Amino acid sequence: MALLLRTFTRQGTCLFRPQFGILCRHAVPMGTTANEEMNRFWAKNNKLNRPMSPHLTIYKWSMPMMMSITHRGTGVGLSGGISAFALLALVLPGNYPYYLDLIHSLSVGPALLSLAKFGIAFPVSYHTLNGIRHLFWDSGKGFKIPEVYRSGYVVIVLSILTSIAAIAYM
Amino acid sequence: MAAIVRISSVCHRGVKPLFYRSSLLSRTLVAQQKDQDCPYPLTARIHGSSSLYAGSVSKAASLHWTGERVVSVLLLALGPAAYYFPGPAVDYSLAAALTLHGHWGIGQVLTDYVHGEPKIKMVNAGLFLLSTVTFAGLCYFNYNDVGICKAVALLWSK
Repeated sequence: MALLLRTFTRQGTCLFRPQFGILCRHAVPMGTTANEEMNRFWAKNNKLNRPMSPHLTIYKWSMPMMMSITHRGTGVGLSGGISAFALLALVLPGNYPYYLDLIHSLSVGPALLSLAKFGIAFPVSYHTLNGIRHLFWDSGKGFKIPEVYRSGYVVIVLSILTSIAAIAYM
Repeated sequence: MAAIVRISSVCHRGVKPLFYRSSLLSRTLVAQQKDQDCPYPLTARIHGSSSLYAGSVSKAASLHWTGERVVSVLLLALGPAAYYFPGPAVDYSLAAALTLHGHWGIGQVLTDYVHGEPKIKMVNAGLFLLSTVTFAGLCYFNYNDVGICKAVALLWSK
């Protein structure tokens, strides 16, 4: 939506004279998209070797910020894990039960086993639940700041609970 | 994302009609979301591309966005499906949905952090290769081995 609007304004189109049936353009159209402008920004600043202003190191971290980057982190981690699994499936000889038995025979204690299961279950449940939260935002709901924090806490608590439930009962 | 229109609060028809009515004039309030509601409302008119423009604006980006959400919802549905109806149908659907969701997701991460035309092209090509190999590997696993659903079940029965 915003891209559409900015594309029009950048083209120098008059949006506020509906009595003219035709499109009126300025004498000098500025035909750049947001993407082009972004690329120009980075090209210019890299060429001039400008240092980047501190941002993550100085801005006060908030719960929504942390949840957002965790969503990204779990997503990248899970994706990497799936890709690694697929690669191993293609490359390794022997089948899955064979390797599972191999891991079994290492006889890790129950504590470490639960920890490993939590290490898999938590990213899945957090990313899934926060993903649902994202889908709510995409439908336009829940943007008020108290709502953002409330839904955030719900996601965190439910993630931990479902992960523990997955370990304990399955 | 949070800065995007809170259309549903102003345009009572909701967000969905805007996706489907391309040639309709609709007045919307573009507002920035802060602690209190919109201090700087801008009146904007969103026109369908055909009614105003000599050329047309590509819908590729917005279709991509919609596609991402569709795959996300599909993947959500495949969760309980895998639990209650494990089998080859769900296995291959999972392989496809997981790979595509991951491919688009990593694509967004790369778009955020990688700048410069040649670098962007390179990492996207690398991602495409990775996703292709991932999908191939998962399908191979489904065909020649126990399959995704069974694999998770076996892993968890440890």
